[in-house]
Amino acid sequence: MKNKIILIGGSAGSFSVVTQILTELPKNFRIPIVLCLHRLKHVRSGFAEALSLKSANPVVEPYDKDRIEEGKIYIAPANYHLYIEAHKHFALSTEESINHSRPSIDVTFVSAATVYKENVIGIILSGANNDGAYGIKRVKDFGGFTIVQNPEECQVNTMSVSAIRIMKPDCIFSSDEIIKYLIDINNKIYFSK
Amino acid sequence: MDITDDEILKLVEIIKVTSKYDFSDYTEKSFRRRVEKVVADNKLSIDDLIKRLKTDKIFLEKTVRDITVNTTEMFRDPNVWITLRDKILPELKNKDSINIWHAGCSSGQEVYSMLIMLNELGLIDKTNVFGTDINTDMIEESKRGIYKYQFNSIYFENFDTVFNSPEDVEKRGKLTYDKYFTIDKNKDLILVKDFLKKKPFFRTHDLVNDDNVFGIFFDLIICRNVLIYFNNKLQNRVFDLFHRSLFPDSFLIIGMHESILGPFSTRLEKRGLYYKKRHEY
Repeated sequence: MKNKIILIGGSAGSFSVVTQILTELPKNFRIPIVLCLHRLKHVRSGFAEALSLKSANPVVEPYDKDRIEEGKIYIAPANYHLYIEAHKHFALSTEESINHSRPSIDVTFVSAATVYKENVIGIILSGANNDGAYGIKRVKDFGGFTIVQNPEECQVNTMSVSAIRIMKPDCIFSSDEIIKYLIDINNKIYFSK
Repeated sequence: MDITDDEILKLVEIIKVTSKYDFSDYTEKSFRRRVEKVVADNKLSIDDLIKRLKTDKIFLEKTVRDITVNTTEMFRDPNVWITLRDKILPELKNKDSINIWHAGCSSGQEVYSMLIMLNELGLIDKTNVFGTDINTDMIEESKRGIYKYQFNSIYFENFDTVFNSPEDVEKRGKLTYDKYFTIDKNKDLILVKDFLKKKPFFRTHDLVNDDNVFGIFFDLIICRNVLIYFNNKLQNRVFDLFHRSLFPDSFLIIGMHESILGPFSTRLEKRGLYYKKRHEY
């Protein structure tokens, strides 16, 4: 069971939700988290540092070919696609933008789904375009667990609505429910007797 | 629809035996993605692609160009350029001449960024700048020095981050773009000025097969976001080439999210955003 991975995708309006999630997750949170967030073109650095200040665990931008480790929070670096590859490694690429986005949430989610299959927990948050919808659909196709932030709670709901339009998520959650779910599953996997 | 592992291997093999290109040590996933794109763009089946590559040399050359990734921009990652200005180039400035190699220069924006930096530091006349790429189209584009204006506002944002900080502007006034570029908004073009264009030496070079073809040593090699498409074995070969081509105590810059793993991690020492070749006794 200890080979789960959590993927979180979002764009406009997701930064405050991500901050809330990272602030509330405890130090003993072991499941690796991969954040794929669109950011404004000129906000290219300092994002991981800003999130690290809020989080009990380190938030890092992975290097190409880095191994995915427990207890770490990874964030897709600006201007690269972030792929998850066999044997739990990251790969970066500067290939063309997808859905006008680099990083593209679809890219990260689809690559993770093919490697981690039913061990993916995929989460789509607030966002202003439909990148991520296909990605979370593929997570579900491969047997992963899928959560979409309640469109009524999203600051911008284009992304969550696009996702729900093409797939049926396992849960439609508020940010508080997402946090509770994550803490519960972490405890169940790592700390139940 | 999905391309099998066997088909990928077959493709690599055909390209290898019918041309000078060898993709065996590209990362399997990135090579596969590029092939999928070629297949989709050309509306071909993988069988048709393989057949055509065997018989059509021009198509093969085009396919190789399409497989390689070309992304670059002026002053990409401004912090790297600030480090160049404040840390690296000051260490080289008293040499009689400076040799710089941009390996995998794509359409040349980084080469011109370097020339602008060298000109600002008064080092352009004693520096030899080489730009190489596997892709012949990219070499021609580099020589032309003409880029799209639209969607490239980041070039000028980066330029300002590097050269027009509040302190810079107070000291010497704003460094204007027209010193180095002619901007033609009607034609949607940025044209690099001739005095920069005549300076660099561009040629094709394949990091997989070609050695140091210049017959000189370098003070600085820049190879950014190329190694991410190579497996560890090929990366090591390229680090060996770079290591052999550098003067002692000289510099290597790779992509912001690339790292040196393996045997060369001790011989090329990481110093923040760059690597320095260690003295070996």
